[in-house]
Amino acid sequence: MSDINPLVIVGAGPSALAAAVYTCREDIDTTLYEKGVIGGLAAITDQVDNYPGFAEGIEGLKLAEQLQAQAERFGAKIEFGDVQSITDAGDHKILKIDGNDVLAKVVLIATGSDYKKIGVPGEAEYFGRGVHYCATCDGPFYRDKKLVVVGGGNSAIQEALYLTRFTSHIDLLVRSTIKASEVLQHDLDKAVSDGKITVHLNTTTDEIVATDNVVNKVLATKDGEKTEIETDGVFVFVGLLPNTQFLADSKIELDEQGFIKTDGKLQTTMPGVFASGDVRSGATMQIASAVGEGATAALNIREYLEK
Amino acid sequence: MSKNITVYTTNACAYCMMVKKYLDSKGQSYNVINLDEQPDQREKVEAISGVKSVPVTVIETENAEPSVTVGWNPNKLSAALAA
Ligand SMILES: Cc1cc2nc3c(=O)[nH]c(=O)nc-3n(C[C@H](O)[C@H](O)[C@H](O)COP(=O)(O)OP(=O)(O)OC[C@H]3O[C@@H](n4cnc5c(N)ncnc54)[C@H](O)[C@@H]3O)c2cc1C
Repeated sequence: MSDINPLVIVGAGPSALAAAVYTCREDIDTTLYEKGVIGGLAAITDQVDNYPGFAEGIEGLKLAEQLQAQAERFGAKIEFGDVQSITDAGDHKILKIDGNDVLAKVVLIATGSDYKKIGVPGEAEYFGRGVHYCATCDGPFYRDKKLVVVGGGNSAIQEALYLTRFTSHIDLLVRSTIKASEVLQHDLDKAVSDGKITVHLNTTTDEIVATDNVVNKVLATKDGEKTEIETDGVFVFVGLLPNTQFLADSKIELDEQGFIKTDGKLQTTMPGVFASGDVRSGATMQIASAVGEGATAALNIREYLEK
Repeated sequence: MSKNITVYTTNACAYCMMVKKYLDSKGQSYNVINLDEQPDQREKVEAISGVKSVPVTVIETENAEPSVTVGWNPNKLSAALAA
């Protein structure tokens, strides 16, 4: 029988790393398992301007490195691993990680969320070859090219603005209206008046089309009329889906959208399993709040372990 | 067997950082081609990988076809290093 870890954290995004700073400083042996990027979605964000304490803003990747270094400074162990399930075994939990069992007295789920797909023909087929979800990774392939960006929320506007540093022009396809912060809206208005971005409101994206395997246009419906937009590539930012598929067969209750339900102590419906950050039902999807919830969860976990 | 490793990256790419950290943790040395600094390499990496995306990691081993890993995929990288 393997040893029971006092605390395993699923994910190593901002919420998880903040929790680890607190639990390690409380001398709780803490291991994080991360299947993607340390720093989570914050690490793939170009620039973060609203995280308190950085007057001039900070690059997402730098913030992620700082969060990691701070957690490791107090002894957090970060392992690569995809957590596939969590089962309740009474006084401990069993996590299936890359096919192996890992035991933990307490678990914190801080798995955040992932990009939603639009689900139109061509999207899956041309993934990585004209259809993209990561501007900081794939934007430089579109220097002096035309792009379509799909989405009208904060992420879509932020990413479209970032992509203007490479592209010759962006068509922004927005299903209804823009739902972005005042600051982003202001920057968008400037990019529109500079001729860098054209906004198409009330426009649904119907298909991504390629000729000879090269993406060259998007078929859309604008105000009920069919239209075609020529492009060299498409970046999709239409919202996020919680990373809770691995909990489908567990006793951890989710809300209608798949986010994890918690009580006032951030504990889930499985005693000894807590949740924090973007994955939690009611989360406000910001780094500052994910970090705050990580700290709150850590202090509640300490209390739980002391019982 | 000696291996020649090249990682194609961009400045702000977090997945690229993960690949580099992983290779560092395995004690592997590698060349970095940063497409923000060398945009003329874009077509080459696209031809190698078939995608307009980084990271792309090319691991060349003597007398064998090079292994090409697109994205951050530790399982594939580990298999390619062991081959
Ligand atoms: C384009 C974009 C721009 C943004 N800009 C800002 C901004 O300017 N300011 C701001 O405050 N917020 C911003 N956000 C939101 C912010 O990134 C998130 O609120 C924050 O990252 C949430 O942190 P988290 O730790 O809860 O989740 P995440 O950052 O999503 O981290 C969760 C981690 O868990 C890992 N994981 C998931 N499932 C598993 C599993 N089964 N096993 C192991 N690991 C797993 C994931 O790989 C991920 O690394 C932005 C988001 C996007 C998409």
